[in-house]
Amino acid sequence: MFKLNLKIAFRNLWKNKGFSLINIGGLAIGIASCMILLLYVAYEFGYDKQFKNYNTTYVAYTNMKANGKTFSWAWTPGLLAPELKDKYANVANAARLSYPFEQMISHNEQKLKDRAIFADPSFLKILDYKFLKGNSNGLLQNINTVILTKTLAKNLFHDENPIGKTVKLDHSEALTVEAVIDDLPENSSIKFSYIMPWKLYEKREKWIQEQGWGSNFCLTLVQLHNGSLDQLNDSLKGLYQRNQKNLTNELFLHPLSKWHLYNEFENGKLVGGKIGQLKIFLLLAICILLIACVNFMNLSTARSEKRAKEVGVRKAIGSNRKSLIGQFILESTLLTFIGTIVAFILVEISLPYFNNLLDINLVIQYQDWRYWTILLGLVLFTGLIAGSYPAFYLSSFEPIKVLKGFSIKSGSSFSIRKILVVFQFVFAACLIVCTAVIYQQLNYIKNKPIGYNKGNLIQMVVQGNLKSQKKLELLKERLLKSGAAKNVSLLSMNIDEGGNNTSDVSWLGKRTDDKILFNQRGIGYDFVETIGSEMVAGREFSIKFPSDSDKVIFNEAAIKAMGLKNPLGTIIDFGGRRAVIIGVMKDFVSESPYQKVAPMVFYSSYNNSGGVVMIRLNETNNLSNSLSQIDQIVKEINPDYPVDRRFVSDSFEEKFQDEKLLGTLSNWFGGFAIFISSLGLLGLALFMAEQRKKEISIRKVLGASTANILTLLNKDFIKLVAISNVIAFPLAYIIVNKWLSGYEYKISISFLPFLIAIGLSVLVAVLTVSLQSIKVAKANPVDALKYE
Amino acid sequence: MMIELKNIEKYYANKGVKSYILRHVTTSIKQGEFVSIMGPSGAGKSTLLNILGMLEEPTYGEYHFMGEDITAMNERKRIELYRNHIGFVFQAYHLIDEMTVAENIEAPLLYKKIPGAERKSRIADVLDRFNMVAKKDLFPNQLSGGQQQLVGIARALVAQPSIILADEPTGNLQSAQAEQIMDLFKKLNKEENITILQVTHSEKNALYGNRMLTIEDGVVKEDVQIK
Repeated sequence: MFKLNLKIAFRNLWKNKGFSLINIGGLAIGIASCMILLLYVAYEFGYDKQFKNYNTTYVAYTNMKANGKTFSWAWTPGLLAPELKDKYANVANAARLSYPFEQMISHNEQKLKDRAIFADPSFLKILDYKFLKGNSNGLLQNINTVILTKTLAKNLFHDENPIGKTVKLDHSEALTVEAVIDDLPENSSIKFSYIMPWKLYEKREKWIQEQGWGSNFCLTLVQLHNGSLDQLNDSLKGLYQRNQKNLTNELFLHPLSKWHLYNEFENGKLVGGKIGQLKIFLLLAICILLIACVNFMNLSTARSEKRAKEVGVRKAIGSNRKSLIGQFILESTLLTFIGTIVAFILVEISLPYFNNLLDINLVIQYQDWRYWTILLGLVLFTGLIAGSYPAFYLSSFEPIKVLKGFSIKSGSSFSIRKILVVFQFVFAACLIVCTAVIYQQLNYIKNKPIGYNKGNLIQMVVQGNLKSQKKLELLKERLLKSGAAKNVSLLSMNIDEGGNNTSDVSWLGKRTDDKILFNQRGIGYDFVETIGSEMVAGREFSIKFPSDSDKVIFNEAAIKAMGLKNPLGTIIDFGGRRAVIIGVMKDFVSESPYQKVAPMVFYSSYNNSGGVVMIRLNETNNLSNSLSQIDQIVKEINPDYPVDRRFVSDSFEEKFQDEKLLGTLSNWFGGFAIFISSLGLLGLALFMAEQRKKEISIRKVLGASTANILTLLNKDFIKLVAISNVIAFPLAYIIVNKWLSGYEYKISISFLPFLIAIGLSVLVAVLTVSLQSIKVAKANPVDALKYE
Repeated sequence: MMIELKNIEKYYANKGVKSYILRHVTTSIKQGEFVSIMGPSGAGKSTLLNILGMLEEPTYGEYHFMGEDITAMNERKRIELYRNHIGFVFQAYHLIDEMTVAENIEAPLLYKKIPGAERKSRIADVLDRFNMVAKKDLFPNQLSGGQQQLVGIARALVAQPSIILADEPTGNLQSAQAEQIMDLFKKLNKEENITILQVTHSEKNALYGNRMLTIEDGVVKEDVQIK
């Protein structure tokens, strides 16, 4: 029976090639979209879960009150980890690690800049990285040691065995390679290429030893024995105050497994994070699959007249309903299966594109049984859902009625199909509106002035020789002289980066309960000029005023927050030292372009140990010439290091990654949804044309023109699409409004997206329906009437 | 007694108005009879046949098939009974277009869950008997009407039914082919003692049988034995 049914199913597919093509195509696109989205969702959900103990591992967070808000950061004092390990019985392990940053590592002539972290030995107990070479015991204990990842080891040593060999950190520290670990999975939050002992960090950075409980500069990972987190979090309350009285900071632990997806806190409370976006994608995946299923239902029932006879005959020769349902489900599962194979090909073809677009690395895990289970589940689910309606509908025919000559009641079955089409178009219209709004918002934010001119602006990392003031001055002089640069200045960190803030600023008239958090930045001479901003009042640091070490500049937001009427000349206390305000700078965006600019304080700095050189290119020169000139000059002054420069506009663009991703995905999948929906509509049009063949023929005999008939047929569908839009609009409005409410700067919702939605959906509908019905409308009426 | 009908009625109610198809039909059919149901169009012949074939249910009345009450039976049992005893032949043949001749004949055996080996031998047997071995891999639309009807009859016969119900089996055929089919029915009735019930318009075809049931306006008007 099964074999025969399968054979029949194949013959049916072959006989109705057009139908099969639409059906399989729709399903394949639906399944492929669903697969890509699910791959992405699985990738995001898999973040940090590769470790054996991820369930008992936590990240220490500090709540800091400032500017009337509470900020939550995964920065903690260096003193925290030992304290937790010693005094809390439930803590199995606690490790400090530095935030990853790029450091030069070299072996003989091989010089590479790569991400490094410093960590306590227990870090390797908390997260079980896979050791490829070397002993996995007693690591990170000796001060001059290093652990490499596979790729870095390969790049440094090629085919040599690196264990026991010596590498150099930053051309100074000689470190022995103790072990090699496998490359980290893409989806882990802590990313590095080599690990060095925390002790080495303390040796290199002398200031660490002096830091108290108020200084948050490292990440603390905690592993617990079993036990309630809430209980521990309760006992951790007040830990900072117990150690240092005047602190208002609070400590809490956040699960490692939630670190990536649940990372947004408001006033110390978890409010979500990336998980919100992920839920949208999950919903999108399910909806697209459902749309494809609905499509299948529509197309299958559209052919019911043809299948009805078969049902009648089968019943007349002894089939019961169950085996008929089985047969139709088998057919839909077969179609889904073929669709899945096509979907596979589509996914494999499009994955590189999506990976490139989203800057991630999704792969189909062919060797993972879970993947196949889910896929099989997906096929069966889709086959069942898609086949259910046709199966139950077709198998319900009474044999005698269908054998005598079939006429579908225009009652119930047809209206279910209408509801299905309305459902499809509601979804499609919603997606169109959402996509349009996302694009509008993205455009709005992108074009919003950021307070400086990010075009033709380069930031270059200060490293090696450049750390000396003299060399820096030489660099500036030569760059200006070469004509490649118009202006050169310094900044203590990347201009598009947040962090590094202080609340240790006081002034006359400051309320004691007032705690304002200032971003602090050291800047060089001619900074404002270089980045293309302007001073609102006063002056900036300049070579003309060499004794500026006790002077500061604030931005507008800071002055506003401090409530100073005449800021110039005001004396403040800044980090325990007296300083005079000499200028007010226009606000510029450094962190999120979606939020208001935070208060910022600038001090004069010319020999900062980190930071970047800001270079304003000379626009009258050829760009590539200027760049090669700059590279050449930097190479001469700092020969040991590769030139590490980036365009600010490129770095800035990364801030839009999330929104761009959302926009692109909803654009693509919205497009697919509309496409599949229009296939569904095609099915309905086919069905209707078949059903009304006789009516159309009679009308034609009575003198109706092709245009008359097309209008007649289109009218019903336009009505359906209009109803869909009416349902979709409030829905889309709610969704879009909710999405926009997360932004401080946002567009107001206009009519345009809604106009686009209705225009596009009606256009698609009319095109699809006309394409099909024109055949019927033009057919010779006699052919249809002859069989009566 | 193979079939016993008592007071069978069939009507459709439309807005409170009943339109009767069959009224007070009471009759019985014995094993081995060859009955022709005759009457003008719309008299209710086909409906009667369908009720007998369990494809339709009477609105009212009792129907006993081989001593079992059909009207009180649940669907599963009825299908079971139907599979084992009834073969249907249609005027429009109603073969499944997607199946070959052999597959069409095989289909009822599959529903009866007959094992593969026996299926094969039975199909071979039937094909042989109907001289259609060469055509077994053709599809219905590659055959003439008469050949299609032969397949239809072969399909009904292969399940070894006790009764064949035929609704104007020759209605779509030319006279030569019609004669061939009728001869076949007569032969099946005589040699294999299969009960045959046919609906027909043609007096000539009716004479192949041994009993004639005439229906007019849903009522049995005449019931004659043919010598």
